[in-house]
Amino acid sequence: MLAEIGLFALAFAFASSLYAIGASVFGEWRHSEKIVLTGRNAALLTFMLLLLAIIALQIAILSEDYQIAYVWSVSSPQMPTFFRWTALWGSQAGSLLFWSFLMAAFSATALILNWKSHRRLMPYATAYMMAVVAFFVGITLFYENPFERWWIVDGNEVVRTALIPANAVAPDANRLAETAKGLNPLLRHFGMAIHPPMLYLGFVGFIIPFAFAMSALASGDLSTNWIKASRRWALVAWLFLSLGLILGGRWAYDVLGWGGYWGWDPVENAAFLPWLIGTAYLHSVMIQEKRGMLKTWNMFLVIGTFSAVIFATFATRSGLVDSVHSFARSEIGFPMFFFWFTLTVISVGLILWRRNQGRLRDDHHFKGWLSREMLFVINNVVFLALFVVIFWGSFGAPIVSELFLDTDITIGTDYFMRVTPPLFAVLFVLMGIAPLSAWGTTSLSRMGQALLIPMTLTGVTVAFLYSTGMNTPVALLGYAIVSLAGWVAIVETLRAMMARVRTHGENPIQALFSLIRRNPRRYGGYLTHLGVTIIGIGIIGSTLFQVETQQTLAQGESLYISGYEMRFDNLRARQISSDGRIMDIADVTVLKDGREIATLHPRRDFFPEGDGMNSMTIAGAHSTIENDFYVLLVDWETIDQQSVTFKVYINPLINLVWWGGLVLILGTLFSIYPKETVSVRVRQKLIKQSGNTLALEGASS
Amino acid sequence: MIKTVTTMLLLLILILPLAAQEDDDVVTDDEVNAVARQLYCPVCENIPLDACGTAACEDWRYEIRLQLEAGMTEEQIIDDFVTRFGDRVVGTPKDPLLRVISVVTPWVMIALGVFWGWRMFQRRMTTNAVEDVQQVSSDEHSHYQDLLEQDIAGG
Repeated sequence: MLAEIGLFALAFAFASSLYAIGASVFGEWRHSEKIVLTGRNAALLTFMLLLLAIIALQIAILSEDYQIAYVWSVSSPQMPTFFRWTALWGSQAGSLLFWSFLMAAFSATALILNWKSHRRLMPYATAYMMAVVAFFVGITLFYENPFERWWIVDGNEVVRTALIPANAVAPDANRLAETAKGLNPLLRHFGMAIHPPMLYLGFVGFIIPFAFAMSALASGDLSTNWIKASRRWALVAWLFLSLGLILGGRWAYDVLGWGGYWGWDPVENAAFLPWLIGTAYLHSVMIQEKRGMLKTWNMFLVIGTFSAVIFATFATRSGLVDSVHSFARSEIGFPMFFFWFTLTVISVGLILWRRNQGRLRDDHHFKGWLSREMLFVINNVVFLALFVVIFWGSFGAPIVSELFLDTDITIGTDYFMRVTPPLFAVLFVLMGIAPLSAWGTTSLSRMGQALLIPMTLTGVTVAFLYSTGMNTPVALLGYAIVSLAGWVAIVETLRAMMARVRTHGENPIQALFSLIRRNPRRYGGYLTHLGVTIIGIGIIGSTLFQVETQQTLAQGESLYISGYEMRFDNLRARQISSDGRIMDIADVTVLKDGREIATLHPRRDFFPEGDGMNSMTIAGAHSTIENDFYVLLVDWETIDQQSVTFKVYINPLINLVWWGGLVLILGTLFSIYPKETVSVRVRQKLIKQSGNTLALEGASS
Repeated sequence: MIKTVTTMLLLLILILPLAAQEDDDVVTDDEVNAVARQLYCPVCENIPLDACGTAACEDWRYEIRLQLEAGMTEEQIIDDFVTRFGDRVVGTPKDPLLRVISVVTPWVMIALGVFWGWRMFQRRMTTNAVEDVQQVSSDEHSHYQDLLEQDIAGG
């Protein structure tokens, strides 16, 4: 029953999304409000139907309906309830349905919130949003259907189909439960409950700015309306994408067992690429709002961001990153590639068409090299340069090498560590100086004056670090560049705070909140910059000063690393967990200066029923703000269980990466917060005055 | 008896340094990982050899240990892996052509992009400069027209 409900909901969602596209375009063309409204309602119906499909699949997973092939492949009777919820996106078919649902949810919310305020843009925006939703619902329905069921036909042949074949009988439920595969072991982690939805929200969220930009191009309303309509949506999407990337790093650190959080793997990089162009867009769009410049460029950036989202989805779902030819074999590879290519070509074509009409001409032009708009343009160039080098290393070079030279190559960490740090350094420098420049023009002396205090504080920071024994030139230079950006954010906020304290007589805390309320974008932006600075400090520390050792210890023996002692106490081999996993757990004690500071339990989990990658290395970690003592159980002697091999990492300042991430999220939340155009005091005064007026009017009448 | 003891002592004198030498030659896990970190698993995609948990990778790490014990340098071991498994086992290809394609190409693309952007920018600045000259207010325009007419009348 659940399979039928889900299947019909999915099929009707596909049909209603197609209707929404047709009605929106036709209604706008014929200037028929009635038809346009039916298009909007069809888009809302698409969301409701996808919600129904999601509920049907989730109930099927929770109620262990193993006849549904997807449920059979991602769950098993031993699996805890928590992972039954996350199994919804645990494999291709379910995650595509979830992707489509989130995209429809974003679209429906934008339709409801923006319909009246941006009426002229809405018909084409609806059509574009629904075109993308229809594509994803289509490939879910026709290629990766999560509602396919197992059937036995002709007595003994087992098939999986969405529709019931002739003379088919359902397989024995107990046999299905016995053979159910369970969730991929790597996904049985709390991080996986949050990381994929956050990343998906970030990905699909960019559909709104994209749809508004395309609508502006199609409708000819090329004022800043599309930016006003989509700015907050872009920030929301960016927020989720940032959160998804940070959580992904944390998951890799906890589960993948290699002591790091970013391996420059193509899958990670694919998610990072839209973030880079999206960040460039968030900066660049300010220039169009303030100065009416870079209209064509912003169109390219917003379309580039969504194109990168679709490419990342194609690259990770089609198997492109595993083998550059696998997309031709993968069933969804070709349709996804075709969709990505068509979407990009149509979008670029529309931009060029409007540009040739002279409709994207800038209102002002650049006046000085130190103007804020010029520094933002340089910032954009660096973001795009990062995009190019990361894209090339992850996809370009391996594809070219395999297609034209018939050679498999791996572009690994050493390439990325060689090409990206100089570009990130330039970005940090720009992050430090751009907020101090003015729109239009800024003189060198004014910039110098504004930089004086932050530069002095940076000098003090570097001198302090040097005095503590850090004398690696690269690290000192890195910390100087990164901390300048942070000091600028702090000094500028303090300067504004003190001015408010002087002029309004508020205490500093009140003044800070007033500033954020009055200009959430600026002060949210400073907080975001501060978050990025903290992340930068964490990355430099954990990359340049990581120490590791691998040693085999007998019970009671110790190893020594960076002032720590780690004693191997005990091994508990072959422990069977309630969910069926077999665990080997080591008990170790960490000591510093002879004092016990932590007891850790690194372990290896083995999933007997899992296919492919069926083991997981869970680290034991003792975290402080200074560093992480991170230990992995590498191997143990099967005969006596007395000697165990451990790999220990000391990861300096690594926790700043996570703490910086939180600050970045908080800053972005402030930036999204609606700007208060009239202060509370003035508003109360106006309300009071209007109340008096009404009272007077009432008395006179 | 004395002869036997003397022979044993001589043997000990010879063997002990050899044994000590053997102890010095023991390759540590850290030394193996230092080489393995520079290599990628030849069968799994994009997984460094020191972090790969498959049985095949354990065997390859053991092979690195043997090669280190045999006195091979890091560079020789890496070259040996590249010869046997191809350029996919290193983070940046060793083959000169592949290396150029991998490392130089993105910078060429960026340079071309920046050059093109610069040309566009310069062209726009020139156009804007011309537009600035052409943009004369209506008052100024009438003034210039009067001057011209006076000039013509005078001539």
